[in-house]
Amino acid sequence: MEDIWIELTKEALDVGAAAAFLATPGAGGLSLFVGTTRRWTGEQETEELAYDAYAPMAEQEMRRLVAQAQGRWPVLKACVLHRLGVVPVAEASVVVGVATPHRAEAFDACRFLIDALKQQVPIWKREHYADGSTAWVQGSAPPALQEEIPSPEADE
Amino acid sequence: MTERDVKTTAPHEAAQLRVLLFSVLREKVGRGTLDLALPAPATGAALLDQLARDYPALAPYRPIVRLAVNQEYTDESVRLEAGDEVALITPVSGG
Repeated sequence: MEDIWIELTKEALDVGAAAAFLATPGAGGLSLFVGTTRRWTGEQETEELAYDAYAPMAEQEMRRLVAQAQGRWPVLKACVLHRLGVVPVAEASVVVGVATPHRAEAFDACRFLIDALKQQVPIWKREHYADGSTAWVQGSAPPALQEEIPSPEADE
Repeated sequence: MTERDVKTTAPHEAAQLRVLLFSVLREKVGRGTLDLALPAPATGAALLDQLARDYPALAPYRPIVRLAVNQEYTDESVRLEAGDEVALITPVSGG
């Protein structure tokens, strides 16, 4: 069975299916991060988000980030699932999960994956506000070049 | 001669390229793909300069765009070959 589940989908994300996928006898714990659509950002009220992606590259980058995590922590299984298109408030837009032998590395690897995804994977969100206006959200900096990302497995 | 040299566009020829746009850039330009001929030497920086001239709506984003060539982030100094898939990536906001 494949140990990595990468998916971009327009369907609702199934957190239970992600947890079931990660279950494995070698794991002492699994860590899941579920990103959801927030209604309030400061004074602005969001009704829904819509996600756009450079899909083939996004999947490739997700796979590469999982490989980096595997180089740094004993990741037995991993999933990175991202919803595209419209995501209503309070629904999940992203599910990142890992299974590892011990809990500390599960938290660390999961945190790395969601942080790196938000910096590197070519996906963009567009806010649809309650007042009818819309705006593309722009990250703080362009994605890093490959050589700028610390990659432990590159030494091998 | 390296493998890359073999498929390099001849120095006098313009490289025919397809450029992909997403999110805010697609909205500003009104389309997701642009086909253009880039005179030699066809570099990433030359491409971004030409796009900023041809599509003034793209110019303000020039400083924050990361190039992806054949689905890999690259420096602007990259030499572009005919047929390369080039994408303009503004700071991402997934998650």
